[in-house]
Amino acid sequence: MKWFIFNLLLLSGLTVATSNLQAQETKYDKRIHRYRKHWENLIPTHLKLQYAGNMGAVSVGTGWDYGKRNQWETDVYLGFLPKNSSKRAKMTMTLKQNYMPWSWSVNDKLSIEPLACGLYMNTIFGDEFWAEEPERYPNGYYGFSTKVRFHAYLGQRFTININPQQRHSAKEVTFFYELSASDLYIASAVGNSYLKPRDYLSLSFGVKLQLF
Amino acid sequence: MKKNKTFLLSLFSLLFMYGCDLIDYHPYDVDISGETGINAKNMAKIESNCKGKTTIKFAVMGDSQRWYDETEQFVKHINRRNDIDFVIHGGDVSDFGITKEFLWQRDILNGLKFPYVVIIGNHDVLGTGEEVYTKVFGEDNFSFIAGNVKFVCLNTNAIEYDYSHPVPDFDFIENALADRKDEYSKTVFSMHVRPLIHEFNNNVAKVFHRYVKEAPGIQFCTAAHEHHLTAEAIFEDGIMYYGSDSMNHRSYLVFTINPEGYEYEVVYF
Repeated sequence: MKWFIFNLLLLSGLTVATSNLQAQETKYDKRIHRYRKHWENLIPTHLKLQYAGNMGAVSVGTGWDYGKRNQWETDVYLGFLPKNSSKRAKMTMTLKQNYMPWSWSVNDKLSIEPLACGLYMNTIFGDEFWAEEPERYPNGYYGFSTKVRFHAYLGQRFTININPQQRHSAKEVTFFYELSASDLYIASAVGNSYLKPRDYLSLSFGVKLQLF
Repeated sequence: MKKNKTFLLSLFSLLFMYGCDLIDYHPYDVDISGETGINAKNMAKIESNCKGKTTIKFAVMGDSQRWYDETEQFVKHINRRNDIDFVIHGGDVSDFGITKEFLWQRDILNGLKFPYVVIIGNHDVLGTGEEVYTKVFGEDNFSFIAGNVKFVCLNTNAIEYDYSHPVPDFDFIENALADRKDEYSKTVFSMHVRPLIHEFNNNVAKVFHRYVKEAPGIQFCTAAHEHHLTAEAIFEDGIMYYGSDSMNHRSYLVFTINPEGYEYEVVYF
């Protein structure tokens, strides 16, 4: 019983102390507040799911929106590549930078981003791929990396604004498609009339959940 | 508005039709559509076409990577002839080892009216390239008999491998020469990288050549890889190593093996 009373006193004392502190914010509080805010900026603002696009069959990702009109976006994805006729399935990782110069509101439910464009870099995991040529080759023998691919794309987006009363885990859902070209496909197409756009261009689809 | 709708509809249907071709998972996805196991099928054709012949005529070319237009022109050019029994592609159908390269080249080479075989080149091994090669064309070492000549086709791209995979595979050579011994009296070796080129395992260059020399009725060896025409008895013992040019230089070799010996010509297209 004595112990209980002691605890109660301690707790009330602490409460008084903290309420006193709240009344006058110290430098320490401001600093901690700023510190938290900086880290909060690193909380991803959206989730993405993409089909195809030379970064795996299906890729899941997360990322950040920024800029005055949230016209910039940076995403990180993990992709899954089925084994097909190879020995095993593979994982890939993608870093993607997007830019949407315009956003048109059709009504308060639907908006369209008539152009989305960007660059992405994909790396594939596995012993058979190298980022830098292994030592067995003379310097610059092949002159490219089998592990890292660069892609550029153009696409469009359609965004549905979710009614605040019906929001479950996201405030917007965006559907997008992209037409992309990969570095090695472009290198193959240059100087050839045999390869047609359908040979070296790739189509992908995806959905974005805007969390906040 | 109606105009817009029809426009959107046609755009979507166009995208859909085109879209099926446009779905790509990864350049190294080993997603293979179309014909596979080509070497085995074509070796059977070559053997049956040449059965009983004592004179055979075959073309040797190679290094067609990324030269799609030139390879197409080669196919058109050689298809005008009627005197060829088969074609040997000396390797490097791909430049980067990406899956589509093999399929594009296969589709072009399938336009040949003669049966053909493709030897594996060092570029074909890159990334998942070897898995694609194996599926589309076949084993990296293979042999067949055309008329009375045994062709031993070998993976000689030692630079791409460690000791886990024997390159060149002497066991294979021994077995290939011992197999159906009574059905042939002459031998030709074909490969991508010839001995004494640094991508070959030159520690065994002389050993390799000893196997070549001891093969029944050895005629000559063919190679590719160097991207220019070569003809040299590299071990100075009279056994010739012929190198075909890359496709961008628009030439191929035609060999004739007959009871008197053999001859060859360089054909430009």
